[in-house]
Amino acid sequence: MLLLCFDTATPRVSVAVGRDGDALAEIDLPPGRRHAEELVPAIQEVCAAGGVALDAIAAVCVGIGPGLFTGLRVGVTTAKVLAQALRIPVVGVPTLDLVAFPLRHATRLVVPTIDARRGEVFYALYRGVPGGLQRVSDYAVGSPQELAGELAALGDDVLIAGDGALLYRAEFDELEHVELAGPAAAWPRAAALLELAAPRVEREEFCAPWELEPLYLRASDAEIQWDRRGL
Amino acid sequence: MKILGIETSCDETAVAIVEDGRFVRSSVVSSQIDLHARFGGVVPEIASRAHVQLITAVIAEALVEAGCELSDLDAVAACHGPGLAGALLVGVSAAKALALAADIPYVGVNHLEGHLHAAWLEEPDLASPLAVLLVSGGHTMVVAVEDHGKYRVLGQTLDDAAGEAFDKVARLLGLGYPGGPAIDRLAREGDARAVSFPRPMMGNGFDFSFAGLKTAVAYHLRGAPDSVPADIAASFQEAVVDTLVSKLLAAADEIDAPTLVIGGGVAANSRLRERVLELAASTGRQAFLPPPELCTDNGAMIAATAWWRLRLDGPTPLDSGADPSLTLR
Ligand SMILES: [Zn+2]
Repeated sequence: MLLLCFDTATPRVSVAVGRDGDALAEIDLPPGRRHAEELVPAIQEVCAAGGVALDAIAAVCVGIGPGLFTGLRVGVTTAKVLAQALRIPVVGVPTLDLVAFPLRHATRLVVPTIDARRGEVFYALYRGVPGGLQRVSDYAVGSPQELAGELAALGDDVLIAGDGALLYRAEFDELEHVELAGPAAAWPRAAALLELAAPRVEREEFCAPWELEPLYLRASDAEIQWDRRGL
Repeated sequence: MKILGIETSCDETAVAIVEDGRFVRSSVVSSQIDLHARFGGVVPEIASRAHVQLITAVIAEALVEAGCELSDLDAVAACHGPGLAGALLVGVSAAKALALAADIPYVGVNHLEGHLHAAWLEEPDLASPLAVLLVSGGHTMVVAVEDHGKYRVLGQTLDDAAGEAFDKVARLLGLGYPGGPAIDRLAREGDARAVSFPRPMMGNGFDFSFAGLKTAVAYHLRGAPDSVPADIAASFQEAVVDTLVSKLLAAADEIDAPTLVIGGGVAANSRLRERVLELAASTGRQAFLPPPELCTDNGAMIAATAWWRLRLDGPTPLDSGADPSLTLR
C-alpha cells in the first residue's frame, strides 16, 4: 500500500512516499516559507525518486498543524484536492505528533513545540506507552513562560523538542528536570508522518477530502477582537 | 478545449469550466458575505479559512454542473494575484494539485486580466480598442484594451477603491455590509441633487481619489445629522458615478475607443450602468455591460483568460506561487 505524505506547518516543506510505513524517498527542504512554490515540485521529485506513479497512491497523508497558517493552508488544500482528484482518502495527523514521534523511546514526558509567532508556542504533552507515545494533554498555544511554569509544576522529567523550544531555550534551560532535544529533532518530517499514518490507513481511519481541516488553535484576530468587545 | 478556472482572491470561492475561452459550461460562486458581514468588511484570515473549507465542494459542483470528469479537462487555472495573500494561495494550491493529479497544464491568471476578459465571454466581437472601467472593492481603474493580452492602464485610484467608498459611506448611514447594493437601493428613493458632494479629481488626468469624498459625507452628516439618508445615498452615489463616467469618457477620447466596457463588482450599480449607456448614446459609441454575475469575481473569467494565456505564453511552471500585488501589464 503506497502512501504520499507531506507536512508544511513549519517554515520547512517535507515530503515522503513509502510502502506501508517504510519510506521509498523523502525530501526535507531547508526553511524558506515558500510552501506554495515548493510543495508540488517536491511531490513530483519524491514520486520520481521512489519510482511511484501518482495513480498508484492509496492515500494522501498530511500534517494538519498547528503551525504557520499560510503553510498549513497550502498543505491541507493540496492534500484534499489531490485526494479528491485521485479519488483516494486523506489522513490528517497533527504536526505536534510528528515532532514527538522520533522521541518515542524516551522514558520521560515528551513535549514537542512549534513556534507560534507573537511570543507563543504550540505544544502538547506525551508519555511513552508500549508501541509508541500517548498524548496526555490537549493541543495548546501559550507563552514559553506559561509552558515552563506548567512543566515546573508537574515536576516530571521532561524531554522538550521543536523549533519553539529552541527559540525560547533560555526559558527551559533554567529548569533542572527539563532537557532540550537537539536541532536534529526540531522539525516535523514526512517520514514520521508515514509511520504514524500507515496503521491509520490500515484501520481506515481517514476522512473524506471535504472534511479535512487545519488545526489552527487560534481564532482569527478579528474574531478575537470581536469576542473581547462582546465581554 | 475545456479549462477549469479557480478564483479565490478575496471573499468568493469560485470555480467554473469554460470551453475554448468562450462557452461557460458551469460557473459556481460560493459567497462568504455572511461570514464577513458582522465585521463590516472582508477579514483576510476568515476568508482564507473559508476557502480551504469550501474549495473541494465548489470544484465538485462545477464538474457536475458541466457534466465533466477531471479527465475531460485540458488545463486548470487559478487567479494568482492581485488579492489577499492567504486567500490566493488556496486557489493556486488547489489548481496545481488538480494539474498534478490529471497531468494537465496549470495556468496562473492575473485577476484584473480576468475582469477584462469577462466582456468577451458574452460578446466576442467587440470593436477595439475598448475603454474599460474596472471598479470593485479592491480596484478602480480605466484600462485601454487593444486585444487579448494587450492592455494599458491609463489611470487608477490613488487611495480608496470605489467599492470601499460605498462600504464606508454605507457604514456611516448604518446600512450594513456590503454597502454597494444597499446604497444603490436606498438612492432610488433619494434626491441626487440634495447635497453637492465634491467630484474628486474631475478633469485632472485619468487617476481617481475617493478618500476625500468619504470624509465629505462624514462631515456633512456631523453638521446635518437630520439629513434624509436616501438623499445622502443618492447624492454620494451621483458624485462617484459622475467621477467614474467622466474618467471613462476621457479614456475613450484618449484612445479613440468605439466601445465602452465596465467590469468589477461596482459595475453592478444600476445608476452607473444607466449613465454608461447614456454616455455611449450621446457620444456615438457602443457600450457593453456584462451581466452582474460576470462583473463580480467568478471562475469563468479566470478560465477564459487562461485559454488565451495558454496560447500566448504556454503553461505556468508548477514552482510558481502567488503575488498579492500583481499589476496589469
Ligand atoms: Zn475583482
